Amino acid sequence: MLQRFLDPATLASISSLDLVAKTVVDGFVAGLHRSPDFGFSQEFAEYRAYSEGDDLRHVDWNVFARTDKCFLKRYRGETNSQLLILLDTSASMSYTSQKITKLDYAQFLAASLCYMANGQRDAAGLIVFDEDVTNYVAPSTRQGQLFRLLHAIEKVEHGQPNTRTAFAKPFVHFQNFLHRRGIVVVISDYYGDPEEIIQTVEPLRFRGNEVILFHMLDPLEIKPKFKEPVLLYDLEDTKQSLEVSPEYARTDYRRKMEAHIEALSSKAKSAGMDYFLMDTGRPLDEGLREYLAVRRGRF
Amino acid sequence: MGFLTPWFLAGTVAVGLPVWLHLLKKHKTTPLPFSSLMFFERRTQSSIKHRRLRYLLLFAARLLLVALIVLAFAHPYVRQTVLASRRQGEITVLAIDNSLSMRAGDRLRQAKQGAKSVVGGLRVGQRAEVLAFGSRVQVMSEITDDHNPLNAAIDSIEPSDTRTSYAELARSLRSIAQSIHLPLAVHLYSDMQQTGWPQNFNDLRLNADVQLHPHGIEAKEIPNFAVENVVAPRRVYDNKKSRVLVTVAGFGNKKATRSVSLVLNGRVTETKQAEVPENGRAQVEFLSLDVPYGRNKGEVRIDSADTLPADDVFYFSVERADPRHALFVQDAAGSRGLLYFKAALEASGQSAFEIDPAAVDQIANVSPAKYAFVVLSDLGALPASFENQLRDYVRTGGGVLISLGHLSEGKSKVPVGGQAIMETRYMGREGERFQTAAWLDKSHPSILNDDRWDDVKFYRAIHVTPGTSRVAARLADQTPLLLDEPIGEGHVLVFASTFDNIDNDFPRSGTFVPFIEQTARYLGRLDSGPSSVAVGAFEELRNSKEKGAAVDVVDPKGERALNLEEATKAQNIQFTIAGFYDIRRPNGRNELVAVNSDRHESDLTPVNEQDLILWQNTAQGAAAGGETASAEQKPLSLWWYVMLGVLALSVAESLLGNQHLSVDKEAA
Repeated sequence: MLQRFLDPATLASISSLDLVAKTVVDGFVAGLHRSPDFGFSQEFAEYRAYSEGDDLRHVDWNVFARTDKCFLKRYRGETNSQLLILLDTSASMSYTSQKITKLDYAQFLAASLCYMANGQRDAAGLIVFDEDVTNYVAPSTRQGQLFRLLHAIEKVEHGQPNTRTAFAKPFVHFQNFLHRRGIVVVISDYYGDPEEIIQTVEPLRFRGNEVILFHMLDPLEIKPKFKEPVLLYDLEDTKQSLEVSPEYARTDYRRKMEAHIEALSSKAKSAGMDYFLMDTGRPLDEGLREYLAVRRGRF
Repeated sequence: MGFLTPWFLAGTVAVGLPVWLHLLKKHKTTPLPFSSLMFFERRTQSSIKHRRLRYLLLFAARLLLVALIVLAFAHPYVRQTVLASRRQGEITVLAIDNSLSMRAGDRLRQAKQGAKSVVGGLRVGQRAEVLAFGSRVQVMSEITDDHNPLNAAIDSIEPSDTRTSYAELARSLRSIAQSIHLPLAVHLYSDMQQTGWPQNFNDLRLNADVQLHPHGIEAKEIPNFAVENVVAPRRVYDNKKSRVLVTVAGFGNKKATRSVSLVLNGRVTETKQAEVPENGRAQVEFLSLDVPYGRNKGEVRIDSADTLPADDVFYFSVERADPRHALFVQDAAGSRGLLYFKAALEASGQSAFEIDPAAVDQIANVSPAKYAFVVLSDLGALPASFENQLRDYVRTGGGVLISLGHLSEGKSKVPVGGQAIMETRYMGREGERFQTAAWLDKSHPSILNDDRWDDVKFYRAIHVTPGTSRVAARLADQTPLLLDEPIGEGHVLVFASTFDNIDNDFPRSGTFVPFIEQTARYLGRLDSGPSSVAVGAFEELRNSKEKGAAVDVVDPKGERALNLEEATKAQNIQFTIAGFYDIRRPNGRNELVAVNSDRHESDLTPVNEQDLILWQNTAQGAAAGGETASAEQKPLSLWWYVMLGVLALSVAESLLGNQHLSVDKEAA
């Protein structure tokens, strides 16, 4: 099972990234960076006067004994960031023009991210959704969490016909599930109005989360190539069909798709979110490496 | 259009292949899944329709391609006439009839107009040639593509008096086609007279690459009257003995009365009426010919009032002269030969000669030059000086007739002529009582019109070795009877017997008178030719090999017919214009020749349509059946054109198909 998701060659290529990258990237190679918050690490940070309501476990009793004043001892925390992966399994994710579907690719991506998070002892969780939340694995660093995650990813069924991507409803739930700040990775094909999508996802960012959008697209979705006029039906609404000419697919469609990607990308960035287009025709590691490289550059 | 291998047309079923590919297969549209149709629009239908249209074009191209390939296998052909104008290097020949009959109405003008319209319709670079034809073919222009010289050549064609000869035209066309090795398109402008048609149809045959386009000019039967013939004496010695017989002919006419006038030297001397029956002839006789001395121009005219006035006049020449003297030399003792000879000459009708008898012993100082001819009737001895004078006389054109009798036996040779005398043949001594003339040269002028010598009995003859002489008659034992020895411009005629009714009974024979008359005319150079000749006839200008002496010929227009070089060298002349030719020879033998157009031209009946079609077909190698039959005989294969179509369609199909495949390339 593990072999299926975590192609050793893929992981090896990711592991070969240099050490600096590992230290800079927050979340993916967790544990090598300082947490911006105070935590439970051994490195002393400062003393602070006790105020009402503080946890008594953090009171430095030795100082109290000497000075009879309550001081809290604070340490530079090494936090394990929380990674929450939101995996879209709507019908459109089943589309493919090659061996693996977009959903397969998304599963590989989710599993890879989970594995890396586990390697950094970050709490990783998973939410599977289409029109609604279909599965949820709460973020945790407990023993066996990785296997639970992989299991959950493994048992994701390919989207049933006519199941649409609906961000609004499941995202209300997501906000309930998120108790800690962390990294939220949304893997979807984002068929919808970019404005609406960003508006729906943006609240996650308000809670201090870092939101990363992975846009899964098949090469034929980006650049459809038909030999002759074809009759297409919508995977998310099989009743809807349309005869499409190769010329249109070659010109107008591409223009619209590029505009869509561009709009999604720009709106995501303006909302403080990261956006990455994952072409399922490209190797998985290439996409991840590019992602890591970009993140490193930002820091 | 036909097919050489029509069974291949069964391959047309292969057309079903593109039909299946395009129409039947095309409609099987399998719906394909796609993530989302949010970026597709309904309006893309129009694009698909446009594409379908192009698809239909490709379909049509493929359909046509298959059909053309099948057609190429079936080997189509068309009749040659369909593509006749596409013949490579074709020369257009404009043959215009300028014979006498084209003078009727404005036929020649119409013919020229028609020819000019053809010149006007010539394509750029298409070459043409202009011919005029009557009895002969005249090349009026060289082969050129310049319209100006062609039109000028057409304009320069003048009406002639000659007779139409389609055979001559056909011969010239064959000759042109063989020499230039290019196809000819012949436009024939003529009134298509039946009389111009040759006796032998084979004379009309044309080469296979000659196309004949006959254009009939007023090709219909028109009433026409003509003076068909005039019989008049060429020389008149006694006005009262002369008469003129006129034949008036009507062609396609109704019964009519015509005035016939005899015109002498431009003056009407007598007029008579002639009743011309329907499509028949009438004869009118003028019983006297009152002409002055010398050469006179005679005409017979009718008042025909038809469209062809050129044949309403008939020219003839008549010469009024006194009888000429002939010297009859006989033995001093006299003989009956003179009696018979003179009687025969007088009996011939015209008193052209007067006999001056002379004894042999009286002639020493007589000059033979003033005599028309000289007769030496069985002379023993001839004065040497006279014999020398006679030789000179003969050399300059004089004639001598020598009869040999018993007085010649002792001599070794014939006087003047010089032939050797071998022996005297006595028929009675050789077991035969008499000999007859067994062989006659019927072309000799003395025997020409009467060769019935069978009943003439010859009892004695002098055997003369002919030598270089022409033998005109022989006896049954091959003894030469009549010998003709030309000396200089004159002749010496030797008769190996006598005219005295002793050595033979020739003077009592019916043949004697014509023989004497013809011999007298021959020796006296009084030819009895017709008073007129037809256009196209030839006249001898000089009858010796002497060169340098100029002969003047003045044609009916009053112009010299020969240039200076021709005047000194030409042996003969052809008469091409109707009228009077004045011929003046250096030896003083002047002549007025009346030339008339051929009266065959008077019959304006056109040749029937079938004959014309047959003539056209000789050019196209077909036996019969008109133009269509000839076309079928020479099919023109369209295989190359079909293959070119296949090639063009293949390119078009590739381009159209490539437009579809250009999407495929990216999709792949």
